[in-house]
Amino acid sequence: MFYFIAKRSVISFFIMLAATTLMYFLTISSGDPFEDLGETNGPEKAATIAARTEAMNLDVPPIPRYFLWLQDVGHCLVPGGISCTLGQDRTGAAVLPQLENAMGSTLRLVVVATVLALILGVVVGIVTAIRQYSVFDYSVTFLSFLLFSLPLFWLSTLLKQYMAIDLNTWLANPQFSYLTIALIGVIAGVVWAVVVGGDRRRRLMVFGVAAVATALALYLLLVTGWFTKPGFGLLGMLVSAAGVAVLWTALLAGFRRRRVLHAALAAAAVSFIGYLVSIPLLENPNWFIVLALVVVTAVVAYLVAGVVGGPFRAQAAKIGAVIAVSVGLLIVVDRLLQAYPTLSAKAGGRPIPTTGSQSANLAGTFWEINLDFALHLILPTIALTLISFATYTRYTRASQLDVMNQDYIRTARAKGLSERTVLVKHAFRNAMIPITTLMAFDFAGVLGGAVITEQVFGWNGMGKMFVDGIDHVDPGPVMAFFLVVGTAAVLFNMLADIAYAFLDPRITLS
Amino acid sequence: MTRNDSPRDDSRASVELSEMTLQSQDTDIATATPTREQTDRIRTTEAKSQGRLIRERFFRHKGALAGIALLALIFLLAFTSIGFAGIPGWWNKDYDVLADRFNEGRPTLTLWPFSLGEHPFGQDVLGRDYFALTMRGTQTSLIIAFIVGLVAMVIGTTVGAIAGYFRGWTEAFLMRITDVVITIPTVVIAAAVAGIVAKHGIIPFALFLGAVTWTGLARLVRGEFLSLREKEFVESAKSVGASSARIIFRHILPNTVGVIIVSTTLAISSAILLETALSYLGLGVTAPDTSLGKAINDNRSALTVRPWLFLWPGAFIIGIALAVNFIGDGLRDAFDPKQTRVKQ
Amino acid sequence: MSTSSVIISDEQAPVGNGPILAVKGLGVEFNVDNEWVMAAEDVSYEIHPGEILAIVGESGSGKSMSSMALLGLLPRNGRSSGSAKMLGKELIGASQSTLRRVRGNDIAMIFQEPMTALNPVLTVGEQIREAVEQHTELSPAQAKKRAIELLRMVEIPEAERRYDSFPHQFSGGQRQRAMIAIALANDPMLLIADEPTTALDVTVQAEVLDLMRKLNKRLNSAVLLITHDMGVVADLADHVVVMERGRIVEAAPTAQLFAAPAEAYTKQLLGAVPHLGSKVGGVLSDVEVVDGHASIHEEYAEAALRAQATHTASGVVPALELTDVDIEYPGRFRQPAFKAVSGVSLTINPGEVLGLVGESGSGKSTIARAVTGLIKTSGGKVRIGGTDITDLSARQLLPLRKKFAIVFQDPAASLNPRLSIGESIGEPLLLHEKPGRAELDKRVAALLEDVQLPVAFRNRYPHELSGGQRQRVGIARALSLRPDLLVADEPTSALDVSVQAKVLELLQDLQRERGFACLFVSHDLAVVELLASHIAVLNKGILVEQGSTEQILKYPRDPYTRRLLAAAPVPDPAHQALRREQRSALIAAGAVD
Repeated sequence: MFYFIAKRSVISFFIMLAATTLMYFLTISSGDPFEDLGETNGPEKAATIAARTEAMNLDVPPIPRYFLWLQDVGHCLVPGGISCTLGQDRTGAAVLPQLENAMGSTLRLVVVATVLALILGVVVGIVTAIRQYSVFDYSVTFLSFLLFSLPLFWLSTLLKQYMAIDLNTWLANPQFSYLTIALIGVIAGVVWAVVVGGDRRRRLMVFGVAAVATALALYLLLVTGWFTKPGFGLLGMLVSAAGVAVLWTALLAGFRRRRVLHAALAAAAVSFIGYLVSIPLLENPNWFIVLALVVVTAVVAYLVAGVVGGPFRAQAAKIGAVIAVSVGLLIVVDRLLQAYPTLSAKAGGRPIPTTGSQSANLAGTFWEINLDFALHLILPTIALTLISFATYTRYTRASQLDVMNQDYIRTARAKGLSERTVLVKHAFRNAMIPITTLMAFDFAGVLGGAVITEQVFGWNGMGKMFVDGIDHVDPGPVMAFFLVVGTAAVLFNMLADIAYAFLDPRITLS
Repeated sequence: MTRNDSPRDDSRASVELSEMTLQSQDTDIATATPTREQTDRIRTTEAKSQGRLIRERFFRHKGALAGIALLALIFLLAFTSIGFAGIPGWWNKDYDVLADRFNEGRPTLTLWPFSLGEHPFGQDVLGRDYFALTMRGTQTSLIIAFIVGLVAMVIGTTVGAIAGYFRGWTEAFLMRITDVVITIPTVVIAAAVAGIVAKHGIIPFALFLGAVTWTGLARLVRGEFLSLREKEFVESAKSVGASSARIIFRHILPNTVGVIIVSTTLAISSAILLETALSYLGLGVTAPDTSLGKAINDNRSALTVRPWLFLWPGAFIIGIALAVNFIGDGLRDAFDPKQTRVKQ
Repeated sequence: MSTSSVIISDEQAPVGNGPILAVKGLGVEFNVDNEWVMAAEDVSYEIHPGEILAIVGESGSGKSMSSMALLGLLPRNGRSSGSAKMLGKELIGASQSTLRRVRGNDIAMIFQEPMTALNPVLTVGEQIREAVEQHTELSPAQAKKRAIELLRMVEIPEAERRYDSFPHQFSGGQRQRAMIAIALANDPMLLIADEPTTALDVTVQAEVLDLMRKLNKRLNSAVLLITHDMGVVADLADHVVVMERGRIVEAAPTAQLFAAPAEAYTKQLLGAVPHLGSKVGGVLSDVEVVDGHASIHEEYAEAALRAQATHTASGVVPALELTDVDIEYPGRFRQPAFKAVSGVSLTINPGEVLGLVGESGSGKSTIARAVTGLIKTSGGKVRIGGTDITDLSARQLLPLRKKFAIVFQDPAASLNPRLSIGESIGEPLLLHEKPGRAELDKRVAALLEDVQLPVAFRNRYPHELSGGQRQRVGIARALSLRPDLLVADEPTSALDVSVQAKVLELLQDLQRERGFACLFVSHDLAVVELLASHIAVLNKGILVEQGSTEQILKYPRDPYTRRLLAAAPVPDPAHQALRREQRSALIAAGAVD
């Protein structure tokens, strides 16, 4: 493992070195750095030219200039390095502080989009594979082809123009007519019926239950004014925790062993108690406190579930920890939702922003600031997620189908294992093996996509640094952007390989 | 489905056999009812060449057929309407002629009763006919996408084939180069390249885009070569002393055609998106040329007032990409017999 | 079910006198391109407690699919009809939840390919344990104990430690044992074994068959054995059902079927199986075990040695001569090179057939490839017709390539799918003799006739041909340049027995007619016996013994050769029973020696 990382780091270093060379020379030969000065003459122009020449080392020939830049980067690699600036842009300002500003928002966007696309894509991909050649499968296939074919900038612009505006207008006065509620119920019913499938009777039943439940829930949310003052509430949290417990048990263990279910419910109870206890602590915390609370709850839930699980303690304890983390996530969501009314008021009643990565000069609690981040993320994340979601579903579907045709799946069935065990325990892990490779590629793709989304949504992120840099033929910001992107790509590749070896015991890292 | 083993068998040379088999099957028609003995003979000799099997599978794929129809329609519309390379088309307006705006430049296209009207896609801010402009953009985008696809195919196949067949240092060297290019996200490297060549016109722009997007294909082809070179039929050719060139071109390459065609198709669809994205960022096609992405970029501020300026080019981008993707999917199914569609 | 090593067994329905499984009119169909294609039809049989019933047939006979249908394990495009009653309970058309309670509990299965049949990402122990947990109320700890017990029962050494191993860390035979452990986890009434030993080497096969026989006796469960191998049937089965193209042809007790087959197809099938010892008259017949020591007639042995020596030094230029050949697969960084073959010397005189015999991993295919210049040797000399080819460059080797040719094992992989049969056969001619079109055409046609294929086949593509036809094409291609030496690397091991018989006959005829020397590589001693005048036995890259066919088969000196010979089952139940005894005596003696 250590040897593998060391070896890969060395190789990656040289690949990065070669890639920076390529990138540097492409950038400096992409145009004339003085082009924007135009035909005008005068002392200002001469001064600007002199300043730029000085800042960008234009008096030095290209090859030594590249080494000058390398030297600047080298300063940052030396521990406790002196004057780590990553060079200067054309105005002579150090690049590093600009990069630090830009990096946060871009990485937030890229990571959120990747994680969401991965989770959604894998889940939908597996369901389509299980329900191969069903209406659901065909619909998702068509949808993913459509998403493959959507230009990102076009989609982003549409989202920004239509979805944000309409959503904001609706949120100002969240009401639906009975007809709309019924219609949404019917749509939800159809979707569920298509997803679940089965024979005619079962589909009708699923349709009925889902339609009525959705319409009823929507109606209740509307009359209680949930959309103006959202949150789970005490009862909601209790029900959610129990629901989470049942769901995870169904997925990870099945209900054949009662003790496992009891252990899961015990873990849910622990998490709920944790929720009650943490209420005062979470008024205006920081990420460290939040994380610590989640960890503590998870450990307690792990122990309690283990004890309740009795002979099945190993499995029960793991499920307990998973439940605690899930409930922790719900608590965070709940807190963010609770911050919504104040934030919405601060945003002048139009809470979904269409430009920028955060509100300027927002003063508020931890939750308000993070909700602000989240709301800014909504639109660009949807755009980015939709595009990679298509890739993940297609690959997951293909991989899952391939695995389902393997002999060991037949063996698992021949043992009399339940379909849940066959899918979750035997198929899922094998199907994920090729997805790890995809992850590395897709991450680089999403980073590239971020350039476009940032442009559309007017973010001051790394994408803008890059596009402006290319426009100005200014290698400083371009290369800074590339250092981050390239390192992230290389790092993700390595992580993917490690994940691969982790999933597949036949592979040893060397 | 049936064919006779006619006397042609012995009279011609075996070198042309593959083509002949294809032809003979196309022309043979099972007209007369065959006798019992004949059916038996036909059954046992019933032969479908691989090309025919692939075609059959492809034409069973409804999405691919729809894709072909859509792409053909777009091609036809784009190239006949405003003409191409000096040949005039049937549309009477030019994309660069300024005119007064009718009715705020709204589209005059009506579907029922069908009528194009004066400006079917409306007019842009300067009163230019947006139909002609969109057609012109479609032409450019299609040309660029196909050139990019072809260049990527040639480079990718060559690099992949050499690396996969010769192994050793050659492979290590070529694959490290591929790694270097892959490390840079396509949009990023394409943007840098576009800065250099885009102003020289669309053909150099397309060639250079192709020169930076071949990496995926190279990896795939290399993988195919790696597995095929271990196959016994390759050993068999080696054991009779076939040269490396003969093994590559006659034995291995024909067996990778499926992978190459499929990935080229998909490369074309991503090239469409890449070109439009670059043009949108202002890094792609420059005036006086126009492309679908550039048309959107030029009119991005007009979205609220004149959404058609935004929607029409977008619809064409999606149409082309969707069609190509479906064709690619059909080809994948056709070339990969493992994926025979089985109805429950 | 109360043997000492089995600690728990769940309640089982009392097994009366009736059959455990009664199959009646079972049919299986597959939907291919919207057409229902029959895979099995009107299959009926019964299995009683303690009985081993074998279903025999060649590929495409429906033997496997009709058994899958019993447990509802058909592929998604399959459907079944008819009836299969387990102790009166109908299985065909039963709900999935009913079938799940039967699977692995009342009826368990083991599959052909233990490598792919075990989940690569889960430990072997885990895969046994979950089978136990599924059908019992045992706690994980108890189930683990039971799993280790089962591993011990199938004779896996160090069961506790191996519990945590992954399938790829097991050998092929151990994997199949693990599969059997999974199948036996809940003491099933019926074990369905689908080609359980086909993927295994003969010596391992013999061990696995022994194990199955032992377990069958001890647990008194019934076994449904699906196989194509008449030797395995003779070794294990009480009753036999013969299937052809989805239908049952004949059903009879094993002894009766082998002694007096009633149907023409059965006769043909039995006739096609090569019978070890048929040519030399008895295998290991001169090896005796006295006082726990194996011994042979010393005079015979010495005479054989002398004969071998004179044969090697007969003065004629050998068609092939290997002297102290080493072959290494180069190691990667940090991995040592792997020596596949070391110090092998052998001689084939013109017109002779030498059988090179060994199990998987013995290096026999490596030698075949080295002889044809496909891989480099790392030491020793390979002389073909007197010329050493080890140091020749590709260019120098080219004219020599006319003198030797190779036929590969897998006829599906050895023909380029994109070349027509005519082009494939014509390629060596085109490369070496550059004939004109008409001439090439004539030669290809003649070659097709030689291998008894219609001339019209030249326009076909490999996927349109059956396995046997493809192998004939492979032979035609190899013989196109009239080589002096033919290397045949397991040329018939991928074929059904009846096809194998015909291809072997063809090969024999051609060899007699054309008089080329032949290095015949095979794992199957019975096939080698048919063709070869001399045999060389390889074990782990070392040539342990060589001599005339008679000497090797009748009085082998090397313990490994003896084990190999004793392990190969013969298609004759009575004889096989005797051989089984001889084998256990030999193994006992081997342990002493």
